[in-house]
Amino acid sequence: MRNPFPFLNSVPKKLFIPIGFLWLFLFSLPLGAQTKMNTGEASALRKKVKAVAKATRTISSDFTQYKHLDFLSNDIISKGTLAFKAPDWVKWEYTEPFSYAVLFKNQTLYINDDGKKSNMDLGNNKIFKQLNQLIAASIRGDMFDDATFDISYYKEDNGDLVHFIPKDPQFAEFISAFHITFSTVGEVEEVKMIEPSGDYTQIIFSNRTQNQPLPDAVFTQ
Amino acid sequence: MRFLLSSLFLLLVGCASYPKKNGYVASKVQTTVVCNPYFSNPSIDYVYKSNIEVFDRSFGGILVIKKLGQDHHRIAFTTEMGNTLFDFSLKGDNLTINRIIKELDRKILVSVLKRDFLALTTESIQSIENFSKASKMLKKASILGKNHYYVFENDRLLQIIRAKNGKKKVVFLFSGISNNIAKKIDIQHHNFKLKISLKAI
Repeated sequence: MRNPFPFLNSVPKKLFIPIGFLWLFLFSLPLGAQTKMNTGEASALRKKVKAVAKATRTISSDFTQYKHLDFLSNDIISKGTLAFKAPDWVKWEYTEPFSYAVLFKNQTLYINDDGKKSNMDLGNNKIFKQLNQLIAASIRGDMFDDATFDISYYKEDNGDLVHFIPKDPQFAEFISAFHITFSTVGEVEEVKMIEPSGDYTQIIFSNRTQNQPLPDAVFTQ
Repeated sequence: MRFLLSSLFLLLVGCASYPKKNGYVASKVQTTVVCNPYFSNPSIDYVYKSNIEVFDRSFGGILVIKKLGQDHHRIAFTTEMGNTLFDFSLKGDNLTINRIIKELDRKILVSVLKRDFLALTTESIQSIENFSKASKMLKKASILGKNHYYVFENDRLLQIIRAKNGKKKVVFLFSGISNNIAKKIDIQHHNFKLKISLKAI
């Protein structure tokens, strides 16, 4: 039979066994220090996050976004700030390396693309409406809706990780999973949106302040 | 009679080729290899903040181009927030759709984008005719059966013009050029309302 892996011909035969062991060793390692939560732990986490979300009137935070496309050498990095005011005003503003802001307010998505302003009525667009609600919810982490997602819970070294898999096939065409990392106090530290291709967008929050007064003027286009 | 003559004159001018209409004269050297260096380095991720104006709508996003091999590029367009709107592989003249959202999956749009991206990323092509005017060189080449004129000034590629019957159909403008990277690229369609502006980030 022809060797289906001709590149292996250049590897000396006596190296095959150690390489085999190395593979076995690598695959038997747990992925990071991540373990699945039991039902009690999962419901405690839900309770904690819901309580934090309920008590959250405002959030302001910096963020760094990593857009990963498999064929690129490097992730595309952008940075900006986020402002949230309960119940559902969200301003998501990129400042580096370009200037672009989206504001979700009163069922409308307002865009300011480097001075060029436009808006989109979300009322009629199911996908955008869902995205809007999700982004607002994901900032607080309160996405524990079993009708919308298949949810699984994991413990990590410095916090908790929850996977949300959208059930709506139309929505799953855009995003196949959200992975949200929570701090030990139940605040969102990281959101990862994974596309069906495996490419993903990872957003890491920093300098987060909560319940500090945010003037309405922040939420203008 | 005078009317007839002037009509004939107009007709002749109307049918003149793009170089003639624009005062270029044919060069002695008829064919050369035309080089477009702007997407030719496989170790660079070419990332552009983009604005697309189509009819009266305008939307933004991030355009990413990566050279994967000889005559082989991957081209993806995502929203600023990271959702992929389309992802194409362009190998030779063949375009493969790796992903496209339903709203953009229109045969005519994909075919316009294929022509534009092929003109944008073709790295080297044999010219059919060459022309010159002062410090400018004009090199005519054929991409997907359409005439494209490459405009060079002091050996730097500044424009690619797709023309038919002497008229501009699509213009690719390159500016802010350094180290074989065009910081700004504008693609203007003259036959319908489509304008794509790219800014390197």
